[in-house]
Amino acid sequence: MASSIALDAPVSEGFFKQSLRLIPGLLLLGAVGYAGRIIERSIATYGKAHHLTLPNIEYVLWAIIIGLAIANTVGVPKVFQAGVATYEFWLKTGIVLLGSRFLLGDVAKLGGVALVLVVIEIAVSLAFMTALGNAFNLKPKLTTLLAVGSSICGVSAIIAAQGAIDADEEDASYAIAAILSLGAISLFIFPLVGHWLHLSDQSYGLWAGLGIDNTAEATAAGALYSDAAGKVAVLAKTARNAMIGFVVLGYAIHWARKEHTEGVGNKAAFLWRKFPKFVLGFLLISAIATAHVFSKDQLGNIANLSRWAFLLTFAGVGLRTNIRELGKQGFRPFIVGAVGELVIAFLTLSLVFGADRFLPK
Amino acid sequence: MTTNIRRDGKPSKPAPALSLDSWAVVLALALSLAIWAGWITHVPW
Repeated sequence: MASSIALDAPVSEGFFKQSLRLIPGLLLLGAVGYAGRIIERSIATYGKAHHLTLPNIEYVLWAIIIGLAIANTVGVPKVFQAGVATYEFWLKTGIVLLGSRFLLGDVAKLGGVALVLVVIEIAVSLAFMTALGNAFNLKPKLTTLLAVGSSICGVSAIIAAQGAIDADEEDASYAIAAILSLGAISLFIFPLVGHWLHLSDQSYGLWAGLGIDNTAEATAAGALYSDAAGKVAVLAKTARNAMIGFVVLGYAIHWARKEHTEGVGNKAAFLWRKFPKFVLGFLLISAIATAHVFSKDQLGNIANLSRWAFLLTFAGVGLRTNIRELGKQGFRPFIVGAVGELVIAFLTLSLVFGADRFLPK
Repeated sequence: MTTNIRRDGKPSKPAPALSLDSWAVVLALALSLAIWAGWITHVPW
């Protein structure tokens, strides 16, 4: 999780020790991700050699399955855990590098449509999740965390909101567990539904980016469908992530008023603190690519670096998902999350169908 | 650098100088620069 690794200033004495601690887990991420690539290639080679038409199962799925198998059988030993937790760092690095594959004009056009859909999705999801949490008699702050987690961007949003509204750690871990388990389920269901509905890469990518909460799962679900869908999913999810500061600020003010505690001082500073900086990095690389600073070969190399970063991410998604641990979390938060996710999935799918004619062809 | 006080009264670790997101941006920009400058000429996939 994002909060589990904090990279200190490089000059501090502990930095080298910290870096050494990451190596075993990083090697495990690389091994699991690369094993996924080997399986994908081996199946393709076998099919070619024997003139068989075998389904092309992307390395993404293999990496996640291998990771899940390790995490839920032998478990991830402590020595690997710090390195495995870096998967979120690789996700963000991969997203920034992916910016090179978008021209700024495409970002403005597709991102503009996505942003409108994001605003509708967030408003409806927050209202629905709040009503649902109240109907199930969940604690108000747990309801807030679930609403923020399922409407914006999963774990990062919950962590940001927890600090801002001073919620219990227990509530945050319930909400995170519910969002993570639902994200793991969505990862497999979204591509199936997408294929069943014959969604185009663009529509599917938009749906995955809007409907799946955690950025890692949204990216993986997009990549499972196709490379092009993966790109659009990342863009839509990035537009959603950009809203995190505004929603968390709104809730921070709401709870400060309700509990008569000290409110948010400098709102602009608060927004900047909560704003996901990788969104700016994504836009910056996209702007540099649009200015034709990179040659075609260089753009290809940057795209490949982004794929390697995502390979580590997808391995981490599997390795950090412990099904038994998720099952131990509260039943009611899970039900509220599950019903909410289902409704949000339908809502976002309808939004995508409605916006189809506005999408750049 | 700020030191936050946790609910149990103990001071928490000082906030890192750069957030995870910022480090990701720094690494991505550094890699892109290395490719642009020709220090990295081929990235296989």
